[in-house]
Amino acid sequence: MIQVTNLSKSFSSHVKEPGLKGSLKALVKREKKIKEALKSVTLKIDQGEIVGLIGANGAGKTTLVKILAGIVHPTAGDVSVLGYRPWERDNGYRKQMSLIMGQKNQVWWDLPALDSFLLLKEIYQIDDATYKQSIEFLADTLMVKDQLKTQVRKLSLGERMKIELMAALLHRPKVIFLDEPTIGLDISAQKAVRKFLRDYQKEWQPMTILTSHYMEDIKELCPRVVIIKEGEFVYDGALSDIQKLLGDEKVLSVTTAEKTFKVNVPRLELARKTQEIFEKDEVLDLNIMDPSVEDIIESIMRHGMKRS
Amino acid sequence: MKWWTSIISQEIKKILSYRSDFWVTFVGQTAIQLVIARALWSSVFESQGVVSMQGFNLETMTLYYLIAPVGTRILLGESFGFISREIYDGTFTKYLLYPLSFVQYKTLTYLTNSLFYVLQLFIIVMLYRMFFMKAAFEPTMFLNLMAGMALFFIGAVVYLSLGMAVELISLWADNVWSLMVMLRFFTAFLGGGFIPMSFYPEWARRIMYLTPFPYLVSTPIRTIMGDVSGAEVMKCILVMGVWWVIFRVSVHFIWRSGQKRYTGVGQ
Repeated sequence: MIQVTNLSKSFSSHVKEPGLKGSLKALVKREKKIKEALKSVTLKIDQGEIVGLIGANGAGKTTLVKILAGIVHPTAGDVSVLGYRPWERDNGYRKQMSLIMGQKNQVWWDLPALDSFLLLKEIYQIDDATYKQSIEFLADTLMVKDQLKTQVRKLSLGERMKIELMAALLHRPKVIFLDEPTIGLDISAQKAVRKFLRDYQKEWQPMTILTSHYMEDIKELCPRVVIIKEGEFVYDGALSDIQKLLGDEKVLSVTTAEKTFKVNVPRLELARKTQEIFEKDEVLDLNIMDPSVEDIIESIMRHGMKRS
Repeated sequence: MKWWTSIISQEIKKILSYRSDFWVTFVGQTAIQLVIARALWSSVFESQGVVSMQGFNLETMTLYYLIAPVGTRILLGESFGFISREIYDGTFTKYLLYPLSFVQYKTLTYLTNSLFYVLQLFIIVMLYRMFFMKAAFEPTMFLNLMAGMALFFIGAVVYLSLGMAVELISLWADNVWSLMVMLRFFTAFLGGGFIPMSFYPEWARRIMYLTPFPYLVSTPIRTIMGDVSGAEVMKCILVMGVWWVIFRVSVHFIWRSGQKRYTGVGQ
């Protein structure tokens, strides 16, 4: 189980005025700026659950994942993952956990993937039978059997991501943190990675936290989502319930001679608003729709939960 | 296979994965050093009208300048910025995720690289003695070479701790590049890598021997050249041991504090 209690994290950084004067001033005295990346957040995730963590850039998603993976120490609060405090970096915890970051490589670029896997086999003390089974299962499911003997730096971005996934899952972790696993991939590679993650989740039932800017990732993989805004959780619940948040609203999609636009309108004001639009503009097309999950999440990320 | 033998084997594969780089460092750099040292010092000896200076003749001086750069490469082990670069580009994170000690991992990869340069040193010295100095193969010469190589390797263990102490500062500092450049300069300058120690005045030598650098560079070179007694070799090992303890304790505290201050930049 993952139990996060009143977790906070602040980062300090230095700020510098622009220009030569600012540079000279910073040489003698620098101003410090404190940023609260996480503000007393609490979360509980059970074994086998997969949770989507959604938020704008800088909202605190990656900071939370880094704390849970034991890379960063928190400023306050407590975390227990499988009974361990992640930042104490107990080997018992590290053997059961994996972090996959879409933009970073964990395998060695200068060597073929199989060489990296052999090293990981020893580092994680994976027995021969499990290693062989894992390689076969992962290479088959991800369709990278032919790429395992090629130097990693010579592979395409999609192939490299698949190799990263293999490396991270060789030891069959019970906790997986996926930070933007499909970033930069083309549509077919994204689909392949999503399908693989879904199959893996079904087969091994790990606890998984997924952060992604692609709503397709979240919709396909995460029955539960946590929306984070400026370091605070503004929604934690089922993805299927998220539409109820704006249940009282409809979306009007309007195309006029000059432009196309969308507007959220309370259900009871729909007739009046439609009439108003028809009177004001020369309307070519008008659709009345339920708000999409993307619209709702964007709305929450912009305005918080005020509109629900 | 144990995890540590796997790390060593992985590092050897990495070193050998770039054939041209391997041969350029080995043959190319050595040939350039040989030509420069020979041309420079033969003109110095000629202009002074002498055949020896401070105990060096042209052959031994050239040998000194062949050993010094390879010796420095042994000390430097893995490439310059072997930790700070990974911290700044974010690849460092992976070591925090693996169930092993980062310091142990880096020690193994570093010393594997050092060992490769030790082998290069052996080949270079043997070839130079055979072809340029026309020296007969004597057991004493071989023993001196082995002792010097051992001193360089022990020096690499000490220098690793010193380098690690400096590089780990990048866990919180924005840039440690200037510190690393200074360290490299002091190693070569105070260690006798630029000019043999015997060319410095006595007072300067006394100051230089208060630092670890002459024990890391000059003493191993002079051991290979047969200018150092067994007692001096033992003293060198002892002094390096003391410096190692000091640097290792510094690494312990810097690493402990750095982990808490690390923000995972570059991710």
